Amino acid sequence: MIQFFQVYKTYPGNIEALADISFKIEKGEFVFITGPSGAGKTTLLKLIIRAERPDRGEILVKGRNVTRLKNSQIPFLRRGVGFVFQDFKLLNHKTVYENISLVLEALGYKKREIPKRVRQILRVVGLEERVVKQTPFKLSGGEQQRVAIARALVNTPSILLADEPTGNLDPGLTVEIMDLLEKVNYLGTTVVVATHDTNLVARYKKRALPLYKGRLVG
Amino acid sequence: MKETGLTHLLSMGTIATSFFLFSSFLLLSINFGTFLETWEKKVQIILYLKDGVGEKRALQLKRELQKREGIKEVRYISKRKAMESFKRDLAGYGGVLEGLKEEIFPASLEIKLGEAFRTPERIRALAARLKKIKEAEEVQYGGIWLERLSLFLYILRWGAWILGAILVIIVLSVTANTIRLTLYNKREEIEIMRLVGATEAFVKFPFYLAGGLQGLLGAGGSLLLLFFLFHLFSLKISPYLSIYFGQLRLSFLPPDLIAEVLGVGVASGLMGGILSLRKAAGI
Repeated sequence: MIQFFQVYKTYPGNIEALADISFKIEKGEFVFITGPSGAGKTTLLKLIIRAERPDRGEILVKGRNVTRLKNSQIPFLRRGVGFVFQDFKLLNHKTVYENISLVLEALGYKKREIPKRVRQILRVVGLEERVVKQTPFKLSGGEQQRVAIARALVNTPSILLADEPTGNLDPGLTVEIMDLLEKVNYLGTTVVVATHDTNLVARYKKRALPLYKGRLVG
Repeated sequence: MKETGLTHLLSMGTIATSFFLFSSFLLLSINFGTFLETWEKKVQIILYLKDGVGEKRALQLKRELQKREGIKEVRYISKRKAMESFKRDLAGYGGVLEGLKEEIFPASLEIKLGEAFRTPERIRALAARLKKIKEAEEVQYGGIWLERLSLFLYILRWGAWILGAILVIIVLSVTANTIRLTLYNKREEIEIMRLVGATEAFVKFPFYLAGGLQGLLGAGGSLLLLFFLFHLFSLKISPYLSIYFGQLRLSFLPPDLIAEVLGVGVASGLMGGILSLRKAAGI
């Protein structure tokens, strides 16, 4: 599903973000990318969706060489990969419904199909109907992250990337969100979670790719 | 979002003001051009004959002149006719005119010109040639005024185009800055749309549309305001125009020019949008 072959990435100012990264994630897997802040976790996720370009190496996502994609092809790669952020990145001036439907509108879904899909995905992530018309800042942190996950999954991507999805949540909500990600994985989506939380990795007993100073150390 | 709305409104106001100035210049030059054309139609050359020139020679001169290129019609005005005309024009002054003798009025030839010969240069050239006729005492024509008015029209037209060029720059920069601000306000939305796989065309189209629409509304608003003011002005001034210039009517910008002004508005607004998106490509 996702393959890295000797990938290197250096940011301007000679800051080495990743070096000699090679790994493979199979279809339907649940994988943690672990490591402290600055280890290169976010850069690795960004490389998968071509938000960054590697200096060297090759990256295959669903059989496509991401490093050689033309700019015009990037949107089509991203349609198959959902992305969840630590700070949710929800639009606070829009309702929960609008935050999710925005994705479907951007991807050209038919208008009559959108409400059905939004309600379906809200049920999957365990959000009640009452939140649909609310704006995100009125919701709890856990609910906001559920909305963000719903937004990432509404167009049924086969891969879900989550960058510190529980970083802003208390332990109770962290478990809720992780359980939800497990459920999503169980339903067939490949899930990659970047986290610095070693307890989380220990608790969920999934394969982990530990990063330290831009290198895989496990 | 309210701030963005206000910014859009302010920038549309600026665009409308700029277009108002430009369209006013166009309107002025069009009506002045019509005025000049009417004036040109009335232009004639009057050749005053020396005192000793008899009627026979004057009529012979008339026939000779009528054969010349560019001369449409020549009318002989005898001393008597000149006096009668003078008295008719000043009929209200009754007593003062009594005792006037026809000898003090010069006989003249009124020369009307062909349409192609009513330009200031040609009138001046013809007048110069007529002055050389030995029977000619004096040659008069409204050429000096015509030349001055033509120069004024020329300046007005150039002024409109220079203003038009400045206007395009204003519209470009105002639209580009407004859209840049909107882009900045919507950067999160744009980032999300790009992350979920929206195409660049889908992301950018609303901004191009906003630019074009801003230009269109700015230009359209200015034309509406100009039309309203023109209507008020022409209502007040029309009675005076008909007194002094007979058939002369004020006219608003013709449809093709209105379409051009609106087109310039849309195009420059659109360009502003494109420029702002290019500069803010990183957002």
